[in-house]
Amino acid sequence: MNRVLTLAAYNVRMLLSLRTWFILAWALFGLQIAIYGSLMSKLVSTAVPNYLFYYAIGLMVITVFDSGAEVGRHFVEHAHEGELPYFLSLPVSRGGFLAAQAIYGVVNTMIKVLPPLIGVLWFVGDLTVQGAVFAMISMFLLGLGITGIMVSMSFIAFKSVDLYSAFLAGLSALIVRFSTVFYPLIFMPSFYSPISVFSPLTYGADLTRWVLGFDPSFLLNPILAAAVVTGVAVGTLSLSAKIVDKVIEGVKAA
Amino acid sequence: MSQFSRLVRIARTDFSYFFRTKWLMAVLISLSLSDMLVVGLVYTRLIPASKAIGSSYFQFLVPGIVVVGLFSAATDTGRRIWLALREGVVQYYLTLPIRTRGLVGAYIISGGLGGVVYSGALLIIAYLSFMLFGAPIPVQGALYALTLIPFLFVLSTGIAGLAAFFASVSRRGEIYWVYAQALQVSMVTISTVFYPAQTIAQYLPAPVATIAQYNPLSLAAGVLRNSAFGGNALETGALANLLATSLPLAAIGALAYWIILRTIRLKGKP
Repeated sequence: MNRVLTLAAYNVRMLLSLRTWFILAWALFGLQIAIYGSLMSKLVSTAVPNYLFYYAIGLMVITVFDSGAEVGRHFVEHAHEGELPYFLSLPVSRGGFLAAQAIYGVVNTMIKVLPPLIGVLWFVGDLTVQGAVFAMISMFLLGLGITGIMVSMSFIAFKSVDLYSAFLAGLSALIVRFSTVFYPLIFMPSFYSPISVFSPLTYGADLTRWVLGFDPSFLLNPILAAAVVTGVAVGTLSLSAKIVDKVIEGVKAA
Repeated sequence: MSQFSRLVRIARTDFSYFFRTKWLMAVLISLSLSDMLVVGLVYTRLIPASKAIGSSYFQFLVPGIVVVGLFSAATDTGRRIWLALREGVVQYYLTLPIRTRGLVGAYIISGGLGGVVYSGALLIIAYLSFMLFGAPIPVQGALYALTLIPFLFVLSTGIAGLAAFFASVSRRGEIYWVYAQALQVSMVTISTVFYPAQTIAQYLPAPVATIAQYNPLSLAAGVLRNSAFGGNALETGALANLLATSLPLAAIGALAYWIILRTIRLKGKP
């Protein structure tokens, strides 16, 4: 356990050295809320009341998604820069190695999302401890699921980094656009809504909005959303544990 | 071989490298198409038609997405310059029988070409999607679009220059990506790509509205909406503004890259 924490602490220290990134991420979040969010909320106000809040949660969910994707990329970069064989030679089990990656991902997500979450809740006058805690739990579970998906997909990178990057880039664009991150499911054309229900972000975004008290008539059933978010987190993490355990050998350095 | 033909050869190689980068093409195409055909259509159901928006939000947004595509393709010049500086490839470039300013020109032209070719492809897709969803396209709009290509090329070189500037001043680690992200979010957000100028002027402070109005992305989106998709005659004032805002960006970027290359040539490092 101590070894896993030591490995995780090393990754987190590397993360904390990237202060400029975090400050930029918060500043860009603020800019998008202040300009895009406020103007779009004026344009859609007749269809979705309080769209600014709806959009702000969507933007946080995208941050969670990006953070999860970053963990996958971090893992793949380790593999292709030749660091992976070193990490695998450490007296840490494969499961422990994955746990260290997961801790890194969680810390990354928390740092990026918590300040904007508190800022938005304070701005809309809805800042409560239980609201912030439950929203973080919801986004934390979503983040674990995304990390699991990204690490599971990393076996593609073991064949070709280019293909992995292309696949993830395409997947990211589609998984965000076809979800309820920017717009409620009820407004999606009938030919898009069946695709939307396959995006984990749909459930993560609606669950987070529900725990923060957004009008439920615009959201999915919260029990279904909670079940899917938890299922995706458990399922994809188990899959990624298997991949780390079995497929990871034989990765070639770039 | 003349200096000019060497410049053309380097620009052509860099240009083809851009289109051969699979992951980048996947990012750009999936983002542009999903913005047009998913985001555009869904927001059309949320945003009512108005005088500022026009007959539908889809028709308002699609020309903006073409401009965002041009922006993304042109800014890739910055990534290629940054990679060349970081990985020392630039030392090799400097051994080529071409002047420093020729090398700079080749990169800026290649960025301009990348932006205009990619946005040209998006423009065709945009016309097809208009036809698919029954939105009217005036016949003269296609002619205006062809007339606009040189102006879009100048805009693209301006954006490539801006990206080249940030790549040139990125001395350490991954800082270029910080600048690139900040540039993209701020330029696209403070523009009329997603919302009309009237809405910005109505709800945001005057300085923000002025920045959005003179943002070259807003000017290009406005010209495309008005002429290429609206069929109205090209406005010389808007085209002049587009050139006036794009050319200085290209010049600043070219100058920054030239200074870096000259420093490397003289001192051996940036």
